[in-house]
Amino acid sequence: MRNSLLKNRVAPAAVWFVAILIGWQCLSWLFLEVLELPLAQSKLPYLHELTRTLLDYADVLLTEGAVTFSNAALGFLFGAIAGILLAILMSISKWVEQLTFPYAVASQMIPILGLAPIVYGIVHDDQISRILIAAYITFFPVSLNMLRGLRSAEPSAVELMYSYAAKPWVIYWKLRLPAALPGLFSGLKIAAPLAVTGAILVELMGATQGIGVIMLRNLYYGPSHNYMFWLTVITGAFLGIISYLLISLFERILTPWQPEFRKTGGED
Amino acid sequence: MTTTQVYTPEIELDHVSMRYQTEKSEVLALEEVTVDIRKGEFVSLLGPSGCGKTTLLRIMADLIQPTNGEIKIAGGTAKEARLAQKYGIVFQSPVLYDWRKIKKNILLPLEMMGVSKEEREKRVDSLLGLVGLSDFKEKYPWQLSGGMQQRVAIARALAIEPEILLMDEPFSALDEFSRERLNEELLSIWSKVNNTVVFVTHSIPEAIFLSDRVFVLSPHPGRLSAVVEIPLPRPRTKELRNSKEFYDLISVIRDCFEGV
Ligand SMILES: Nc1ncnc2c1ncn2[C@@H]1O[C@H](COP(=O)(O)OP(=O)(O)O)[C@@H](O)[C@H]1O
Ligand SMILES: [Mg+2]
Repeated sequence: MRNSLLKNRVAPAAVWFVAILIGWQCLSWLFLEVLELPLAQSKLPYLHELTRTLLDYADVLLTEGAVTFSNAALGFLFGAIAGILLAILMSISKWVEQLTFPYAVASQMIPILGLAPIVYGIVHDDQISRILIAAYITFFPVSLNMLRGLRSAEPSAVELMYSYAAKPWVIYWKLRLPAALPGLFSGLKIAAPLAVTGAILVELMGATQGIGVIMLRNLYYGPSHNYMFWLTVITGAFLGIISYLLISLFERILTPWQPEFRKTGGED
Repeated sequence: MTTTQVYTPEIELDHVSMRYQTEKSEVLALEEVTVDIRKGEFVSLLGPSGCGKTTLLRIMADLIQPTNGEIKIAGGTAKEARLAQKYGIVFQSPVLYDWRKIKKNILLPLEMMGVSKEEREKRVDSLLGLVGLSDFKEKYPWQLSGGMQQRVAIARALAIEPEILLMDEPFSALDEFSRERLNEELLSIWSKVNNTVVFVTHSIPEAIFLSDRVFVLSPHPGRLSAVVEIPLPRPRTKELRNSKEFYDLISVIRDCFEGV
């Protein structure tokens, strides 16, 4: 069991990872030494230079990354709760759905890039605006997928509840909500990295702390801070990946019955 | 069983008709069906597919309302019976909840009735034993074969010891061997619980083996074409299947279908 997991999942991923690193390093060398492009290291820096900078500045990246991540997480949490609640309301009442759904869709048409300064202009607090933007981004995919999940319960499964004379809230608790969990998790998995990106975006527009702040600063200082700039970008990506993996972990723990988690092969 | 015997009616349908309205057409699924089912009786609804057996069962279960006619359950309305949780239903498909292990699926109706956790735990083993699935308590439904899943559904229906057990072709997906064995098991369970059972099937031997009376339905539109008493003694064992009386009853019921 452990062995096959190692073989099937971990080994290919490791091979890919190493291949990408080697490709990166070769390309970086190509840009700098062979093609002699101007600002070659800004286009694709050497990995060993990045590693050296990382060792020097790990603590900065860590603390700033933590600020971004915690704000994104908080916003994600609020957005997810709001999305779940709206989905439940919409599934209970067609009227609520017709009233709110068009606005929920329309809200997604507003570019975040424009919305962030507006929100900042209103609340005048970079922490709150980061949380608000992360929540705003999270809200829609969660709500949409949750709603679909709530509606996924089969008619016969609902009939069974009906035959037990189940009260509506019991039907939600014992049938519709568990049936909606897979949908909810696909919404959360889409939203989590987006919430991180949203938080970084707000930081780019002006904040005192966060990965976006040092990203902007190092970009501004020019080529001499190139490696640090790249590290902030990588850190941002890393935060997004962590958020996704965290949600996936919760999904695995909370919904072990889902088809993709079923062990194939013989019983026991 | 003589006709003069006094009995309590449990399920009474009086000129019940059911018309399904679809966008383009109308289907008369049941026409003027009148039946009387006694308390503690085991009856089968027998007929080819499409003759309205499921429709009739769903009307009895208060899952749909008939277009015409009256229905009474234990003297009250079908809705009252449903709200009083008098029904145990086995659908044509198992309808298990994917996120619940077998044990929790079986205990679902007890949870709904507010039976305490200890009491539920006590009952689950005998229920699992009843349908021969003791080793699968902690499995998820997808880890079981179709036949096993259907047995889980039966255990779930029996969990609350329902006054009325409604079963819609519960064994039709099973092989002949499991089906005959489960028929015998169902009878032995029933002899202990002694509730009223309405059993839908399209198998003539199955209907005869199980029932006190067989209601024969004919299609287009669904009508009650005959009621056949099965005077075979109980308890019924598998030897009965080879008896002359059994074969005679098969031809009697065959003739009912020839007649229409
Ligand atoms: N929900 C429905 N809407 C329209 N027609 C239906 C519906 N359910 C059943 N019917 C029709 O009613 C008839 C009887 O169906 P059913 O009760 O399922 O028969 P059986 O269980 O004996 O196979 C069939 O012709 C079927 O197509
Ligand atoms: Mg049917």
